[in-house]
Amino acid sequence: MYRKINFVIIVLILFLIMPTSAFCRAKGVVKHLTSITGNKEIGRFGLPGGLFFDENKNRLYFTDTTNGRILAFDADFKYISEFTGGGALTSPTSIVKDSNGKFFVAEPAKGHILKIDIGRKSIKPINFSAVPGANPVHPGNMAVDSKDHLYIVDKANQRILLFDSNSNFKKNIPVKESRGLIDVKVDKAGRIYALSVIDGSICVYDDQGNFLLKFGSRGADKGEFDFPTSLAVDRKGLIYVTDQHKNKILVFNNKGRFLYAFSQLGWREGRLHRPSFIYINNSGRIFIVDRANTRISVFE
Amino acid sequence: MPKVKNHIFLFCLIFFVTFLLSAIATCSAEAKSAEAGFKKCIECHPEIQKEMSQKGKHEPFKKYQCSSCHNPHASNYEHLIKDEIGALCKSCHKGKKGSFDKKQSHSPFEKGKCLKCHSPHSSKNPKLLTKKGEQLCLGCHTDKEMFSKKNRHDPVKKGNCLSCHSHHTSDYEELTKKSPEQICVKCHTVKKKKTEKSHLYYPVQGADCISCHNPHGSNRGSLIKENLHKPFAGKKCTQCHNSSKSADPLSMKSKGMSVCITCHPSVKEDFRKVNTHIGEGVFCTNCHSPHASDETHLKKAKEKKICTTCHQDTKERLKDKNNKHKHPSVMEGKCTDCHRPHGSDFELLYKTDEISACVECHKRHASFTHPVGKNTIDPRSKGEIGCATCHNLMGSPYDFALRFDQKKQLCIQCHKGY
Repeated sequence: MYRKINFVIIVLILFLIMPTSAFCRAKGVVKHLTSITGNKEIGRFGLPGGLFFDENKNRLYFTDTTNGRILAFDADFKYISEFTGGGALTSPTSIVKDSNGKFFVAEPAKGHILKIDIGRKSIKPINFSAVPGANPVHPGNMAVDSKDHLYIVDKANQRILLFDSNSNFKKNIPVKESRGLIDVKVDKAGRIYALSVIDGSICVYDDQGNFLLKFGSRGADKGEFDFPTSLAVDRKGLIYVTDQHKNKILVFNNKGRFLYAFSQLGWREGRLHRPSFIYINNSGRIFIVDRANTRISVFE
Repeated sequence: MPKVKNHIFLFCLIFFVTFLLSAIATCSAEAKSAEAGFKKCIECHPEIQKEMSQKGKHEPFKKYQCSSCHNPHASNYEHLIKDEIGALCKSCHKGKKGSFDKKQSHSPFEKGKCLKCHSPHSSKNPKLLTKKGEQLCLGCHTDKEMFSKKNRHDPVKKGNCLSCHSHHTSDYEELTKKSPEQICVKCHTVKKKKTEKSHLYYPVQGADCISCHNPHGSNRGSLIKENLHKPFAGKKCTQCHNSSKSADPLSMKSKGMSVCITCHPSVKEDFRKVNTHIGEGVFCTNCHSPHASDETHLKKAKEKKICTTCHQDTKERLKDKNNKHKHPSVMEGKCTDCHRPHGSDFELLYKTDEISACVECHKRHASFTHPVGKNTIDPRSKGEIGCATCHNLMGSPYDFALRFDQKKQLCIQCHKGY
């Protein structure tokens, strides 16, 4: 009799546990790791801009826009140094680095992208003279692919500009399918992801710039955006989008199906207040510019 | 066999007649019971009897069915009604063919305030309306200036608001019955010589007439809006457009923002900022009318409407009943009191840094306030404390638009020892 009762209890427990664990896997477990804030050593952060993780050097670079500087942190998020380019940087926003160690920094207030070669002590704007278009280029966020091609959001022409590894203009990728282009990322396979804020959509293009997929919308329902600001793709192909007004990160699969969201409005560590930029490195660490909290929040 | 058939027929007939008689008896008993119930109600509410004499009566009221809307014993709602007014009305009035599910809703309809326009029991007006014709609309739409211009549109003169507007919902802005491109041509034709001449022979078929004409009234002829773009006022269309005789007359002479920047060069600098509202093409016309407007700076519409066209989530947040405490500028829809419309080097396109922007009006707070600014650190985020650390100006359930209840949660967010 007791055996039978024990068996029934075990079966019931299994039934209870199985869906819970399945649910947990489906939702993904994202834990807050640390936060990087201003301090006495580096001073307080001004308006935070963008960030980039250098896989070769295991370093995190962050643009402190209103203080006109780039800050470097090591793999343990300890401050290493700051770079101002001797005053050449005025209000840097987006930052990327190619495999040869050259930095590219967007200065939308000046309408250019600075190419910084620290070894050669050279800081020069990329030449936009070959770029056609109705409006002068207004550079926004950037991405670099495995071939060192540079992708630049041109907000004034709703397109992505593609430059080769020698910083020569290659072509435009017009993002005709949406409005208010704000961010771009490229995955390992070379697929290009473009986020537009006005219609809250993500457009995916192949490595040649051919349109593949569009998903996402603005609205109050689950998986819809209030005000999306940035996106990133992890090594599994999951797409993470920061929502500045929902104060959450929404996660989608590679077909655009909403999976789950994490974090919420707050000031304590692990919570977000107007997140404005996201970057995911190869080891799966999620770096979020938590703009109104003036810090970088790191999740994994 | 015929006998059996006769029996079946007789049985059916008896069953049908019995059923009919019992149904009639039930109905008449229900009616009598309802009437008796109604008499009971008017014993204490005699004023309701008068309403019975009105021409138009609400169906349940006509049938003395007070309890179809009211609970005679207790209710959570005023007048002992069974549910919130909107939900109660919509339990019977569901709208024909999805007519209640359109993109735009009349504010009282959306908020479920049906009694703003309709009487619940009876009315001398059709559709149980509380007032007749335009008197009803003008009860809320009190912008006298709009309706008292020198030249008025014919339906306005006649108080015939519903000739252009829908009353509950519409798929179009301003609850118009048709799209901006279709609504005017319902009555007006653009293929007349006079119309063609007045548009200097530019093709205007399929255009949004309301972008230049005020559909209610104007002090200008042809209901042209009050403020005119200089080239438009001087009939110098070719300053921006190709000639009317060209193959593509409506196209612009130059590309993108240069159409506007050529004459407004200072604006270019506004867009050379960290955060901007820059867009593709001639993006200036996202917010400004290139021809005529009733707003300052040739804005396309009222500020709030322009901003919430893109900032849809803000529009929804402003409607949220819980967020009853808002900054006055937010309530008045004056977004540019705090935000720059073109571009800014500060977060959220603020005019200046957050504290300076607030202190511009709240001068006393510059010297007397909870410490804010550079030398103050929020122990939660390790960032600087600013005004928006404690206040959520876009809307909050708490006094002074505070983020938390000042009597319970606000201070202890940081001051843990208390």
